[in-house]
Amino acid sequence: MQTFLQIIANGLMLGGLFAIIAVGLTLIFGIVKVVNFAHGEFLMVGMYLTYLLTTGIGVHPYATAAAVVPILFVFGAVTQRLLIQPLMHARDEHIQIFATVGLSTALMNLALLIFGADIANTPNHGLRSQIHLGPVRILEGQLWIFLAAILLVTGLQLFLARTNTGRAIRATAQNRAAARLMGINDRFIYVLTFGIGAACVGFGSALIAPLYPTSPTIGTYFVLIAFVIVVLGGLGSIPGAFFGALIIGLVDALSGFYIGSDLREAVVFGIFLVILILKPSGLFGTRVSQSHVSP
Amino acid sequence: MRLSFIMATAATAALITGSATADVKFGALYPFSGQLALLGEESARGVEIAVEEVNANGGVQGEDVTLVRGDAVDNNQAIGEARRLIAREGVKAIMGTYSSSRSIAASQVAELSGVPYFELGAVADEVTGRELQYLYRTNPTAEDMGRMSVQMIVDEIAPALDKDPSEVRVGIIHEDSSYGTSVAGHQERFGEEAGLQIATVQGYPASTVDMSSLVLDLQGRDVDVVMQTSYQNDSVLFLQQANESGFKPAAIIGGGGGYSMLPTAEAVGTDVIEGVLDVDFTQYTVDPAYAPGMEDFVETYREKYGEEPRSGHSLNNYVGAMAIFAAIDGAESFEPDAIVEAVEQIDIPEGETAAGYGIQFGENNQNERAKMMGMQWQDGKLVTVYPAEAATSEMKIGQ
Repeated sequence: MQTFLQIIANGLMLGGLFAIIAVGLTLIFGIVKVVNFAHGEFLMVGMYLTYLLTTGIGVHPYATAAAVVPILFVFGAVTQRLLIQPLMHARDEHIQIFATVGLSTALMNLALLIFGADIANTPNHGLRSQIHLGPVRILEGQLWIFLAAILLVTGLQLFLARTNTGRAIRATAQNRAAARLMGINDRFIYVLTFGIGAACVGFGSALIAPLYPTSPTIGTYFVLIAFVIVVLGGLGSIPGAFFGALIIGLVDALSGFYIGSDLREAVVFGIFLVILILKPSGLFGTRVSQSHVSP
Repeated sequence: MRLSFIMATAATAALITGSATADVKFGALYPFSGQLALLGEESARGVEIAVEEVNANGGVQGEDVTLVRGDAVDNNQAIGEARRLIAREGVKAIMGTYSSSRSIAASQVAELSGVPYFELGAVADEVTGRELQYLYRTNPTAEDMGRMSVQMIVDEIAPALDKDPSEVRVGIIHEDSSYGTSVAGHQERFGEEAGLQIATVQGYPASTVDMSSLVLDLQGRDVDVVMQTSYQNDSVLFLQQANESGFKPAAIIGGGGGYSMLPTAEAVGTDVIEGVLDVDFTQYTVDPAYAPGMEDFVETYREKYGEEPRSGHSLNNYVGAMAIFAAIDGAESFEPDAIVEAVEQIDIPEGETAAGYGIQFGENNQNERAKMMGMQWQDGKLVTVYPAEAATSEMKIGQ
């Protein structure tokens, strides 16, 4: 029984970790309608920034979020403005996807050039110490990630639901042409949204860096599972990404123990397929607006 | 027919290179850019030092050796670069390759052109054993890695635990690409032959971000020894999560990759990695009496590159290259068959190379005397602990 509870706790903590990465992705996916294959590399950039700031000035890794989040915001906004936007009117929209694949490869190799293939260790400032919660034990850093994920999801939901900018973002996602007619600057909204999506992963990277060694390929470890979560939760749904992440985390932990570590990916992706067949729009998904196709 | 072939080749070479030089060219085919660049470059440095030493001592068959680099950044380019080295540069033989998949691809090209290919660093079983006539391998393989880790359990760990080998429970975990799977397969086979209790064999993807379930599983099976074949990320993850779950097997034996590198120790903390064992190529903490020339190598390396060797790859490539050059020096000519004939005669006993292991090619042109070394993290340093004749420190097992 104790082992079972420990596995559940491990799964939830893993889910929190996945959630904090997937939230930014689903935002970009749902609003800008761009499949951002460079999302994992945004995480990598954020983790290296955290590493450099933590070792360079010796601050607590969480404090670096104050710098990493704005930097990633600008990075995301610039990506949208200079890379995606010029391709908005390309003959085939898939070109945007290939552009993000190109960005991903370029960033990974740039990191390889600057930092080399070796791992970089962000000092963990005690975040790997254990907390006992009843019969289970988890890492302090994992708990913070989990709580931060809840905070981030709630905050974004409130922002989208209650503020004027948030409403404009949702309006653009629902019907771009109509939003333009209402006087919303859709290009600005896309730049802003891409920036916010990147900032979310920047926030996550400040929390993740002290727990995981950073390497140029670290993004690829997370990005595939993040895509699965986003599709599972429903494209563009922020609560969907959160609960999708928890489900994937739990399935991963349970199948890793009860079925075998070599089969857990098969189980995760098997369940993913079953859910998609039963509910093609994802758990929290609604029908995707095609309005962005209009000029 | 043979003569006409030679004349044709010579004519082509003369056409391409313009004028013939007195130097003899050899190819160095390694990944010099891309993901594997760090250790590819490190491996090539060993060959470069060997070439310098050979040239300082009068060259090979009286001619200076020129090393021509080929960048095997991926399998396709490995093939392209092998072709270039053979056809345009006219190299007499190719040395390489660090990466097994690139070695397998490029050596096919060399074989078809009838140019000898010397593998000095790739470990996969499949590199040899493809019935290639011109491929020879000097370095130890995945099979040697499996054999060595089981020998350590039987000879040292079981006695230290006061157990018969048949009472030792072993858990084998490995990343699930061909590297981890083949080493784990050998560990299982040698382990069963030695009568160990193999409690479980489990693969996992190297890109995993959580190994807590695997740790809980091993904990539940009550294993004495864990053997892990892994890259760096998963080595760090396993050691950290095992430590945090309070899982303390009597011994953890890592296989190469991440376990030999200092950044891994820094990532998990020197107190956590203390006592962890590792099977890998000969490193620099081996007993100098067992590896004569190793210290001179390190000194030359420092002078030439202005830093410490970054891993044992350079040493192992150096040892292989030195043996091959020495053999070719005694050959009748640089004709492929003359080279092969001379290489077949190599007979260097154990304890007489800078990497410790001897060299003699046996079945499948694999060096039958190649050996991995058993090492242990002690006080933040990786020291050689097995076999006894190579060891600089005692193996410490149990509390």
